[in-house]
This record gives sequence, structure tokens and C-alpha cells, in this order.
Amino acid sequence: MRTSVKKLATAVSASVALMAAGQATAEIKIGIAGPMTGPVAQYGDMQFSGARMAIEQINANGGVDGEMLEAVEVDDVCDPKQAVTVANRLVNEGVQYVVGHLCSSSTQPASDIYEDEGVLMITPASTSPDITERGYELVFRTIGLDSMQGPVAGRYIASLNPERVAVVHDKQQYGEGIATAVRDTLNASGVEVAMFEGITAGDKDFSSLITKLKQADVDYVYYGGYHPELGLILRQARQADLDAIFMGPEGVGNKDINTIAGEAAEGLLVTLPPSFDQKAENQALVQAFADKGEDPSGPFVLTSYTAVQLIADGIEQAASTDPADVAATLRANSFQTPIGTVQYDDKGDMQSFEFVVYEWHSDGSKTPVN
Amino acid sequence: MQDLLYFLQQLINGLTIGSAYALIAIGYTMVYGIIGMINFAHGEIYMIGAYTALITITGLAALGIAWLPLILIVALICAVLVSSSMGWAVERVAYRPVRGRHRLIPLISAIGMSIFLQNYVHLAQGSRNIGFPALIQGGFQFGSPDSFQTSISYMQITIFITTLICMTALSLFISRSRTGRACRAVSQDLGMANLLGIDTNRIISATFIIGASLAAVAGLLLGMYYGSIDPLFGFIAGLKAFTAAVLGGIGSIPGAMLGGLILGVSESMTSGYLSGEYKDVVSFGLLILILLFKPTGLLGKPEVEKI
Amino acid sequence: MAAQNLKHALFCAIVTLVISYPILGLNLVAEGTKVVLEGADTATVISILLAAVAVFLFQLFRDNIMGSMGKMPNLNPFANREPMEQSKRQRLDTIVLVLLVVGALIWPFFVSRGSVDLATLVLIYIMLALGLNVVVGLAGLLDLGYVAFYAVGAYTFALLYQYFNISFWVALPLGACLAALFGLMLGFPVLRLRGDYLAIVTLGFGEIIRILLNNMTWLTGGPNGIGGIPDPTLFGMEFGRRVKEEGNTLFHEVFNISYSGNHKIIVLYLIALVLALFTAVVIRRFTKMPVGRSWEALREDEIAARSLGLSRTSVKLSAFTIGAFFAGFAGTVFASKQGFISPESFVFLESAIILAIVVLGGMGSQIGVILAAVAVIILPELAREFSEYRMLLFGLAMVLMMIWRPQGLMPMRRMHIELKKQE
Repeated sequence: MRTSVKKLATAVSASVALMAAGQATAEIKIGIAGPMTGPVAQYGDMQFSGARMAIEQINANGGVDGEMLEAVEVDDVCDPKQAVTVANRLVNEGVQYVVGHLCSSSTQPASDIYEDEGVLMITPASTSPDITERGYELVFRTIGLDSMQGPVAGRYIASLNPERVAVVHDKQQYGEGIATAVRDTLNASGVEVAMFEGITAGDKDFSSLITKLKQADVDYVYYGGYHPELGLILRQARQADLDAIFMGPEGVGNKDINTIAGEAAEGLLVTLPPSFDQKAENQALVQAFADKGEDPSGPFVLTSYTAVQLIADGIEQAASTDPADVAATLRANSFQTPIGTVQYDDKGDMQSFEFVVYEWHSDGSKTPVN
Repeated sequence: MQDLLYFLQQLINGLTIGSAYALIAIGYTMVYGIIGMINFAHGEIYMIGAYTALITITGLAALGIAWLPLILIVALICAVLVSSSMGWAVERVAYRPVRGRHRLIPLISAIGMSIFLQNYVHLAQGSRNIGFPALIQGGFQFGSPDSFQTSISYMQITIFITTLICMTALSLFISRSRTGRACRAVSQDLGMANLLGIDTNRIISATFIIGASLAAVAGLLLGMYYGSIDPLFGFIAGLKAFTAAVLGGIGSIPGAMLGGLILGVSESMTSGYLSGEYKDVVSFGLLILILLFKPTGLLGKPEVEKI
Repeated sequence: MAAQNLKHALFCAIVTLVISYPILGLNLVAEGTKVVLEGADTATVISILLAAVAVFLFQLFRDNIMGSMGKMPNLNPFANREPMEQSKRQRLDTIVLVLLVVGALIWPFFVSRGSVDLATLVLIYIMLALGLNVVVGLAGLLDLGYVAFYAVGAYTFALLYQYFNISFWVALPLGACLAALFGLMLGFPVLRLRGDYLAIVTLGFGEIIRILLNNMTWLTGGPNGIGGIPDPTLFGMEFGRRVKEEGNTLFHEVFNISYSGNHKIIVLYLIALVLALFTAVVIRRFTKMPVGRSWEALREDEIAARSLGLSRTSVKLSAFTIGAFFAGFAGTVFASKQGFISPESFVFLESAIILAIVVLGGMGSQIGVILAAVAVIILPELAREFSEYRMLLFGLAMVLMMIWRPQGLMPMRRMHIELKKQE
């Protein structure tokens, strides 16, 4: 009994020493919070891969003012409850900068904690306008808003002079937000929105919806939501000979939609951020991802990379590791990043974030539409 | 005219889904009729059937087999085989040991099994939606080509006919065959049937196997009809099918058919004339309403309380 | 006999292969735009084969194994002891409870913020499980839509704050009462239904509430949820960095200490602790009162209970209402802790988790339920590398528990009065 107590004591003191040693070398902790498991883990992978790459590269170049970055990765499963738990854990570990979270519904409760505890947060993926609506000082993002993407799609549809348009969404924060923005833009430009309706996410049978679309005789359908539902809608619409043109946000623009919709995905219109990995100035970075066997083409990889880079640049330019100073610096200056020049407005949104309309093809490729 | 065609189209959509619900509902209703428990994991058995069918179809495609009837038959056989084995095993592992205890206990065991199977497939096959190839395409059109056209696809016809065949075969089996008669005996009085020399354990296993096989058929058909599957879709479909079974009167096979059709049509009419987002509210609301007035469902026998 | 055993064992082994190989051994993978089949790695295939062999051997020697298991000395040393005398047990119970409460009160001041936050979540689940325990454990009514009442509590607070600026302490009883009202409303129509029908109707009710919350965007914000829900205040003191509400003071300014984010977390924890204790005590009292006794009577034998003059309606309704009341309590605390709620926090899985806690703890037993809540919420946090397997193990645990220990970790012991020994 006695020896085991002794052993335990040694083990504890050793681990304490180790932890202390760990803290001594890494000066700046960057929390990366996103889903590692759960249904949207595939998007989380993009986020982690981008952020890790940035941390590696910055450390390889001597860190930030000589101080190394250390990643603290946590898994929020895209569940608001877990998000609060991991946010508290990050605060606990003395993290002052966070890249995350991914889902808007996780980002929102977590950002309350970060703001209160003086932690600077940059989300590379949450697009809900609500997040930056609350006048928080320490909340930023490196992605556009639903309210920016919707109008792009709405204006594009309006420019085609459609007779009747239907707007459908999946009753989720992301989908309904974008769909509402599209509807408002269409109404403003005098296009008749014949139908505005929600479906149930996770549903599989859309025959009633498609019959309704046929009855309404629409020539464009905008769908706010993700690829599993739109893929099925496309396919079932093709089966039912509905000849409308479909359009969706970046949540539908990945190759999984082709495995579901097959041929029916041809001609789908998608608004996407411009493919940052196609830009000439990013080729060295794309190569670095390729060398690691990772794919930088996902929508959140380079936004996450940028988020880390902004934190590092902010600290360097502010010459301070106080998040409040860094936030002020981020607002005051503009930064050159892989996703273009980043300049923040007072709310913490990028002043411009471009969305481009692409045409999707049945082989999973896409071409920009003029 | 156009309104009528529209109504017809929604009716066809509803009946298609409804007959598929009925196929799944049989599993619930038979198990309930015999041992008086809700087999919550039945939706997962259906999901596993759909996965097996897709795995078989993909495998056959990789082998270069392209003859449609062969693909369908092999996929059907594999799906039925795996699903019914699963149904048998689930009964053996999770339900038989708790049979006869307080009625909450098998139910909770079933919910646990449902969560387990869902995550078993989730871990093995990933959580993403996987496309299911559309093997049966095309259909008939009614109405003038320049206005609204009602269409029936061959796939929808296949679903109708298959359901009809399965139901007829099942009814014949229950009423004519020796095992079927034993099934009815067991459902009337398990203890008495046992005394009369019926191997009740075998009959119960058979019930699970029949229910699982029909669920597998539904899995293959609906997989093709919908176009994608994921590990969670069994749960939702199971819930709907169970609602259908309760609606029709749990324990009654024609009741399951009727409940499935009513549920399918009411869902499709809600989406068609109201809004798709209230579909589930209406189907559950309908369930509560019917149970209020007929606590044992439409065709269910009133339960006699025995002391 | 041996031949039959062999046949049966072989059959079981083949079934094992059939149900595991296609799903585990052949994976559907999206390759570009096509779905292709990929064989699993050798390790998986070998483990499938091993599983089949294990099943074969077990079934072959089943009788021997079962026989020797029976002969084995009982592993649980407490299994055969005499039950403790009631008076002694009660005293022990009290001591343990007091120690637990004192420990729970002091504990947050010495540990990290993350642990306190997690503990608050555990307390919320304890409240939920204690409430559901009344409905399922004591009254024997299977409620699969319990999460609806939890949602009602949470949304009541969020909406009252959003539209009328009502604080936590006012919203707490309101939320609980509204949830109780919903319980009553649901209770009326479903009274006539027997066990299994009841289960599906409550499940449907839970889904309806969630879908309505999601669809009524004009009121509840729909899928966007409601944000900016305040933390509880204490005597007009706020625990944030800055004052959010006019007329409030700041805790750290009043006591002239430096601001720390931990204060807020600890206060929330303590409030949750007090409420959980309140829940436990109230329900404990209920079980000793006639109404609590009649719940159990109805659970054990409905017909007998009714023949003894118990009104089925009032007994079932009281169980439903009281269960819902405490769910509303928990919901209000949850809304306050999260600061943001949306319908996705109130899905069926949540109901299943609460039910699992009640079942694992031992239906009807309070200490068991508390232990189970701690286990179910904390264990996955400790073993995060297994978080993929969390739900799998969860389902498995529910099944195994029902088979081997349906009475739960800590089965309920009913109070009884002992006759005095005759002189």
C-alpha cells in the first residue's frame, strides 16, 4: 500500500513537472475548436488541417516575435452544449486566442464566454449574421455572412429574368438564413417568389415538394441548406421531369452531391467563395498541403489558415499579446492573407468577402459563370 | 382538371410512401401481437437491409454484372439474409433474456439496441449520406404536355406491386401454413400454446425473421426510390412505421397496411397543400387524435384487462 | 445432445459472420463522384473471424460455461449479506448525504473552471433524471418525450427575458409551472392509453414541441434560437465583467475583489446545486406521502390499485405534472448556463439519455439516479478518445443492464416500518 502511494506521488509530481516544462517552451496557445467527431466532422477536418498548417509554418519561421505557437485542439461535436464545455476548458488552460467554432449554433454560445473572459476568437466557418451583431469586441471571422451570400445568389437569379422562382430551405439556421436573404433580394428586384417553404432536414422523400414545384411552374429553385437534401431533391426532380434550374449556397458545393444526385447535378448553380487554392500566389501553400497528403480545396481550410495567420500578424503588429490590443490592431489595419486582403469593420466582419457563382458538373468539377 | 391531376399526383406520392411504411410496420405489429413489446430496433434493421442492398449492388457493379434482374434479385436475397439474421440475433441477445419481465424492461432494452445498431453502422460505414443508384427509371405521364402532368414512375409501380405481393403472401402464410397457425395461437395465448406443444421460442424467432425480411425488402425499394441512405434514416422511418402500426391498431396486419397508407397520404397532402415543415406535426397529431377516440387504433382489438 | 449443440453453435457462428461481415468488412467509400466498395483492413477481418470463433466456442460449451459460472464463488461480496437494519441504514444514508452535500459545496473553490462547468451540467441532468424518475421509475409511465418539458422551461425563460426583460429568479418558477401545465395538458388525453401507446404518444408530443419551436420563427427565432440569455443575479449583483442590466451592481465591485470569470461559473454551479437538492428533497418527501405511494401502487398493479379506490386519473396526472415541473426547472437553469438555446438541444436523443440515466441508476432510486447522471455525463469527458464509441457503448450498456441488472446500479429500497419485537 505504502509503495503504491509513493509511486502515485512520484507520478503526479513528474506529470506536474512535465506540464510546467510544456508551458515554458510554448508561449502562445491557440485553441482550435471544432467537430472532430459527429455528423459534420468532415468540415471539422478542413478546419483543423488549415489551422495546423499555419501553426507549423509560423513556428518553422521562428514563431511570433520569437515565441512559439502551440495548438490546443478541442472537439465540440457541433453541439451547443459541448461547445460551452470546451470553451470553458480552453479558458481554463489559459488559451487567449481561439480559431473556431465551426457551426454557428456552437459559435454563438461559446463566443459569449470568450468575450467575457477576454479571449479573442476568429471563426473560419460560421456564417450566421447574429454572431457579430452583438457588439462584441473580440469576435472576428474569416468567412462571409449568410447575408452576403444570399444577395449574390438573389441578384444572379434576378439577372436571368426568371418568371417564377421558388425558394426552399431546410429549416436550419444556415439554410433558412440564406434563403431569407435570397427571397428579400428577389423581392427587392421585382421578381416574383412563387413559393417560400421549409423542408425537414434528414428527410428523404421530396416527391410532394417536387409536385408542388411542378404545379407552381417555377423556372428557378433556390435551395438554402446542405448537400444531402439538395442531392435528393435534384435526383427526384429529374425523375419527375421537373425542368427548373436549381441553385444553392456553398453548403451544397462538394463532391458528395454527385454521389447522390448523379447526372442530375449537372447544371446546378452554386455560390462559393472563390477557390483560394486556385490562386497563383497560393501555389506554394497548396504544395505544402499536398506534401502532407492533405487537400486544401475545402471551403474552410484556407480560412482557418488565415485565422491563425491573422492572430500571429495581429500580435506582431500590436507588439502585445493582450487580446484586446490585438483586436484593436486587427480592426485598424489590413492584412495580406491567402484569402486576399482582409480588412475588418467594427463588428468584426470582413469588409468584403467575395462570392462567385459557379456551375456544377456531374463529374464533380465546377466552372465559374460569367 | 389541373387541380385534380395535382391531387392525384400527391395521392400517388402518398400511397407509395405509405405502402413502404406498411412493409416496415408489419415487423412492429407482428412482434407486438405475439410478445407484446415494441421492437424499437426494427427501424435499424430496415436501415441495415438498405445498406446491405447497396453494398451488394456496388459489389456486383464492381464485378461487371449489369443485368438488372440479376442485380435486383441478388441484392434482395443478400439484404433479406443479413436483415433477418440481424433480427434473429437481436431477439436472441436483447429480448429473449428479458422476456416476461415488467413491460418497461424489454422496451428499454429495445431502445438500447436501436442506439447500438445505429452507431454500429455509423462507425463501420461513416455518417455521410451515400447515393443509391437509380436502377429502375422512367414512368408513365398523364395530362397534356404543356400543363401539369401526373406521372407514375416504374419505381413507384414496383413499390406498390411488391408491397401487394408481400402482403398477400404474408396473409396466406398466416392463415394457411402450419407455422402461421402456430403464430396465431401464440399471439392469442403464449402460455397455452406452449402447453399444446408449440415451440413458442421458434415461433417468436420466426416472427422476428419475417418482420426483418419485409423491412429488408422495404430497405432495398426505398433506397432506390429515395436515392440515398445514411445510418440515421432507419430511426425516422421506423418511427413513422411504428406510428402507422399504432394508427392501424398494433397487432393487426391489415391495420398496419391501413395505418401506413393513411400516414403516407396525410403526409403527402400536408406537404402538398400546407407546408412540408408541418408534415411531422400533422402525422403525430393525427396519431394522438386517433388514439384519443380509439385507444387501440383503427383496427385494433380492444384490450381486455385481465386480473 | 452434443451433435445438436454443435449444429446450434455452427449456426450461431454463421449468423455472427453474416451480420458483421457485410457491414464491418465492406465499406462504401465515395471516390470522387462514384461510390465504390473497399475491403476493410486485415485487423477488422481477423477480429470478425475471431468473434465468430468465440461465439462458436461459447455456444458449443455453453452448458459447461454456464454451469461453472454458477459454481464460481460470488464475485460481489455484498451479495449475500443481510440487509442493513433500517434505522442504521437511514442514519448512514443521512451521513453520506450530508457529507456529499458539504463536499459539493466546497469543491468548486478548489478545482478548475472547466470541471465546475461540467459539474453544473451534471446537476442539470440530475434534476432532469430525478423528475423523469417520478414518471418512469415511480409511476411506471414510460415517457419518451420528456425533453419537451425541458424545452418549455428553457424557452419560457428565454422568451420572457427577450420580450419582458424578466430575470432568472422570476422566470424559474414561471418556467417550471408552465412546464407543469404542459405536463397536465399532455397527461389528460393520454391517460386512457396503456404503456406502449403512451410511449409513442409522448414521443410524438416531444417531436411536435420541437418542430413547433423550430417553425415558429416569429416567436422563437426558429432554428436561429434565442441568444443573450442572462446569467442569474444574486441580490441584484451581476457576475460579469460589466453591468448588463440597469440598476444592478457588480459582484466584484461590491466586495471589492478583482474580477474573475470563475465567480459566475461557481455561482451558477451553486444555484444548480441548491435547485437539485431542492428537487431531490421534494421528490423524496413525495415518495413518503400518500400520492407517492399511490404512484408505486399503480406501477405495480394498476387493476389492484384501482380496486382499492385510487383514482387513476389523479395519480397519473400528478406524476406527469410533477415530473414536468422539475424538467422546467432544469430547462431554466440550462438556458441561463448556455446563454443561447435552439431547438437542436431538445432532440429525442436527449430524452433517451435522460431515460438511460434513470434506468442505469435503478428506477425509483434517487441516489442511484444521481450516480448514474454523474457516470453518464462525466465518463465520456474523461475518455474523449473513445467519444466515437460513446453512443455505441451507451446503447450496449442499456441492453446489458436490462439483462443482468434491471433494478439498476442502486435499486430502490422501500421504506417500511418494523414491528417492535414482542417481549
